[in-house]
Amino acid sequence: MMIEVSGLSKRYGAKVAVDNVSFTVRPGRVTGFLGPNGAGKSTTLRVLLGLDHPTGGTALIEGKRYRDLRHPLRKVGALLEGAGPVPERRAVDHLTWIAQSNRIPRRRVWEVLDLVGLSDAARQPVKKYSLGMGQRLGIAAALLGDPEILVLDEPVNGLDPDGIRWVRNFLRGYAASGRTVLLSSHLMAEMAGTADEAVVISRGRIVAHGSLDAITAGHPSLETAFFALTGDRAGW
Amino acid sequence: MTAVEADGGLRDTGEIRLTDLMHAELTKIRTLPATWIVLAVTLVANTALGFLAATDVVRVAGQGGPVAIAQLGTLLLAPVYAFIAVPVFAAGSEYGGGQLRVSLTAVPNRHRFFLAKLLASSGVAVLAAVPAVLPGHLVQHVAAPRGDSGVGSVISGFLALVMAYLLVGLVGFGFAVLAKTVVTPLAVLFILPVLVSPMLGGILPGVVRLLPHEATLSFLAMPTSPALALGGATGLAVVTAWAVVFVGTAWWVNARRDTSGS
Repeated sequence: MMIEVSGLSKRYGAKVAVDNVSFTVRPGRVTGFLGPNGAGKSTTLRVLLGLDHPTGGTALIEGKRYRDLRHPLRKVGALLEGAGPVPERRAVDHLTWIAQSNRIPRRRVWEVLDLVGLSDAARQPVKKYSLGMGQRLGIAAALLGDPEILVLDEPVNGLDPDGIRWVRNFLRGYAASGRTVLLSSHLMAEMAGTADEAVVISRGRIVAHGSLDAITAGHPSLETAFFALTGDRAGW
Repeated sequence: MTAVEADGGLRDTGEIRLTDLMHAELTKIRTLPATWIVLAVTLVANTALGFLAATDVVRVAGQGGPVAIAQLGTLLLAPVYAFIAVPVFAAGSEYGGGQLRVSLTAVPNRHRFFLAKLLASSGVAVLAAVPAVLPGHLVQHVAAPRGDSGVGSVISGFLALVMAYLLVGLVGFGFAVLAKTVVTPLAVLFILPVLVSPMLGGILPGVVRLLPHEATLSFLAMPTSPALALGGATGLAVVTAWAVVFVGTAWWVNARRDTSGS
């Protein structure tokens, strides 16, 4: 299952958020999506998932727009910034309605809760969750449909070191099974340890796309390569 | 986290039907604590008002002397402004914590998403209105010492009340989608009968009687005053038009609006 973004542009009024962005994400690999705050990462992911409408270009999943997928959650599992449950609702209920909407068996709700270590807290209202628990619930929701593609925006935010290591190993295993992973993160060291390829975006435009080795060639680390590509300084 | 692995693929359970989406929306409504609180408040308020109207033990001071509660349509209809929180929360709670993005990722066809939410919310409004309204209605009309109502008028009055609750609820539902919040529609729909009608009713009766709550009161044969009265059928038509306009506009906007800022 491949993601193909071609000539994608998105404006909000006069502001250009994404400008003629093109890249592909291939199966069997973890592809990192890197960029400074406001570079257009989240906008690109929202357009890819049909949450925002493109001004121009296309973002396709196996040749189809996301909204045209027959079983969206079985194709794509997503964890997005600013997407979360109603705080008063229990975690198990949150996952239950998502499962019902895509004809996913109820048993799968408990499987993913177990997978992310939230079984014991499943009947608590989400407002009682810590940041890390909320993040794990978001990952559980992304995994509900056992999807062929994972699109994760900052998945390790708020996780403890054990959780971060779990996400890293899980994503590596997911990609190794032939599935597709698109991973957005600010954490360069984490990205360097997880991704095979990277797409670097800055000021709404793609500034690099290729294997991690190619992107970091001539630089001591992914972080220095990132700053060289985006023109950002380490420290304000 | 535990290291349990995924189960290696889910069986294809067939085409996603509209009823699947409605089940999901019903689960959202059912698992929101506010739903049950609001229904309890509506039930208690309706029953208490029905008792007071039936027994006439309390009267409210008016310009021409004490007024029986049974003659105060605005007060008798007041519980609807608690009740509409059910459809308002069904629509507006999508926006507070960013649930809309989760919803539209699960159901990216926005027309199907909106239709399922509309049908589920309408169904819940009708079904929930029955227990919320019936006890108070029965107390008011059947248990009244005068026994002033025939069975036919009690039943038709009850059905009209359920219809009124549905239509005002749909106005709130559409308003919540447009406003992207639960607060604004509840506040505005509450302020209309409490502040706007009393202030402007004498100055602009031709406008005020077309407001949703005044039209609803006319439909229920309890107009605030003769100057603000419409015929029953006209009242029904006006409040239905309000519901259609709000729901229709919300549907159109929902299909086109980006989730940025949700």
